[in-house]
Amino acid sequence: MSEYTPFEMIAFTGSRILEDEKIVFVGTGLPIIAAMHAQLTHAPNLYMIYEAGSLAPILEMGMPLSVGDTRAARKACYLKGLCGAFELTQRGCADYAFIGGAQVDMYGNICSTIEGHNYDKPGIRFPGSGGAGAMAANCEKTIAIMALEKRRFVKKLDFVTSIGFGDGSPDYREKAGVLGSGPYRIITNQALFGFDEETKRMMLLEVKPGRTPADIQELVDFELIIPPDVKDMVEPTDEDLRLLRDVIDAEGYFLKRVIKK
Amino acid sequence: MNSASSKIKNISSLEYKEKKLEYWGPTPDESRKLMVNKSHALKDKTMTLKEAVAKHVRNGINLGIGGFVNTRVPVAIIHEIIRHGATDLTLSFQSNSICPELLAGAMILDPDRVSIKRVELAWWGYEIIGIAPMVRYLATNGIIEMDDYTNYGMSVRFKAVSMGIPFIPVRDHGGSDMELVNRGKMIECPFTGKNVYLLPACHPDVGIVHTTAADMYGNARIFGAYCTCPEIAMAANATIMTTEKIIASESIRSYPNLTEIPFPVVDTVTEVQYGAYPGASYGNYWFDMDHLKMFRSICEDFRKTGSKDALKKYYDEYIFGCENHDDFIDKIGYKTIKKLKEMDGGQPIILT
Repeated sequence: MSEYTPFEMIAFTGSRILEDEKIVFVGTGLPIIAAMHAQLTHAPNLYMIYEAGSLAPILEMGMPLSVGDTRAARKACYLKGLCGAFELTQRGCADYAFIGGAQVDMYGNICSTIEGHNYDKPGIRFPGSGGAGAMAANCEKTIAIMALEKRRFVKKLDFVTSIGFGDGSPDYREKAGVLGSGPYRIITNQALFGFDEETKRMMLLEVKPGRTPADIQELVDFELIIPPDVKDMVEPTDEDLRLLRDVIDAEGYFLKRVIKK
Repeated sequence: MNSASSKIKNISSLEYKEKKLEYWGPTPDESRKLMVNKSHALKDKTMTLKEAVAKHVRNGINLGIGGFVNTRVPVAIIHEIIRHGATDLTLSFQSNSICPELLAGAMILDPDRVSIKRVELAWWGYEIIGIAPMVRYLATNGIIEMDDYTNYGMSVRFKAVSMGIPFIPVRDHGGSDMELVNRGKMIECPFTGKNVYLLPACHPDVGIVHTTAADMYGNARIFGAYCTCPEIAMAANATIMTTEKIIASESIRSYPNLTEIPFPVVDTVTEVQYGAYPGASYGNYWFDMDHLKMFRSICEDFRKTGSKDALKKYYDEYIFGCENHDDFIDKIGYKTIKKLKEMDGGQPIILT
């Protein structure tokens, strides 16, 4: 088997999670790549929503570089604006939200607004919620991509941008007035996480072959639920890598990026 | 109406100032009155962009910016606003890249010409190209006040005005820190008894949009994603529109279903080919990644070094050194435009 990069593992794992005949609301970059890979392999009838306004486009001009890209509007079934796209989620038509963020906590809440505690003068101002806050609220299940680092898997977020299970109380999301069932999977290149139904806490599901659950816990600042049956993550085959590198992101916009230390 | 709260206070240690529940721009009553008193005649609204901006843009207004990130962004209008000057601005938009960055850069160069007081938004950045250095600089240093919503939240706040209602219930923001920092409010729904979040309508004094085609009265078609342009045009007290092509009104009347922005809400129309450049306009041209990268890296250099030399050079060359958008496109050159037209792939649009 060929060597693969962290980004390729994340995109491939994202693809594995997406089921056929579902609708996924995608953000720019790895979520689009994951959904395209799924369409080319096990989920030919998976459809995407792009928040600028398109539903189920045919990506025959190549991978969109932006969720508002002309390429993402090409041959869509339905093409409106942001209101139209997000109202599909409020109405219940989007099965998955596929988002990213800067920090995540044990209940799957995600920060992408600021670093630091003072909203009016933060340590760093990030771009903001964008669509993520609405996607995490109202798509049925939320999938998020994160880098597996202690400073990102934190006990307490600097700012809750995208709602997860809040403080873990069973009625948190209902009291918040949101509709979706909440966090479903957190994808990193070394581990795949889900959530415990009862406690709503993050649970280790799979580890990269060669890693142990203890290795993963080391990279997480809160205590993970580690069940006895943690599996190995499936690795991409040569054919998967060919699709990712030569067909989907042939220009190398996302998969060939260098990870900043 | 019963006030309510989610449990967000149980998980957040955020420090913030509670915002007053007020409109950052005209109130619903003012906005209604203005629309009623406006001429509703089907009349020729074409004029130069210089005339349009001079007529409507003043200090202290709420400026609603159309497009989405790098898509159909009203760059030609922004350039003209910078040449004209406008201080103490409130900006409102969902997600944008170069438009607010250009205004922010102008503020850094000369705050007496252009300045931003506060921003109601969902997102500010360039997606694949990177973060927006100027907002990172201004917001991180507490120079501008921020008010955060989701992309849906900002879009539907404009839509509320277009519906003539003062607020709109949504199913997002609740249970996130946006519930604490923004001007929305959690209430108990009078019908279901369950919590639901209300957002105040967003009323720009001036809305700026770039459309695919319009007639001289302002009836406009948009191909590709609408973004939130119809809602912003409907919401603004005055809408300045640029369009790739002014088309015959007969065509509008042949396919009235295709009109996304109706004439009564449009105040000025200017044909500006490539008016969204370096952003994209579906059916006409793709976005110019190289130009966006170039401007972004100039801004990033300022953020890192504090030096304004390269920034000043950019503005002198591409904004102050141009009378209008044609001059700007001249400097970009035929070869670049040709390539961007090819990258668009000639998406089907209806102009007849």
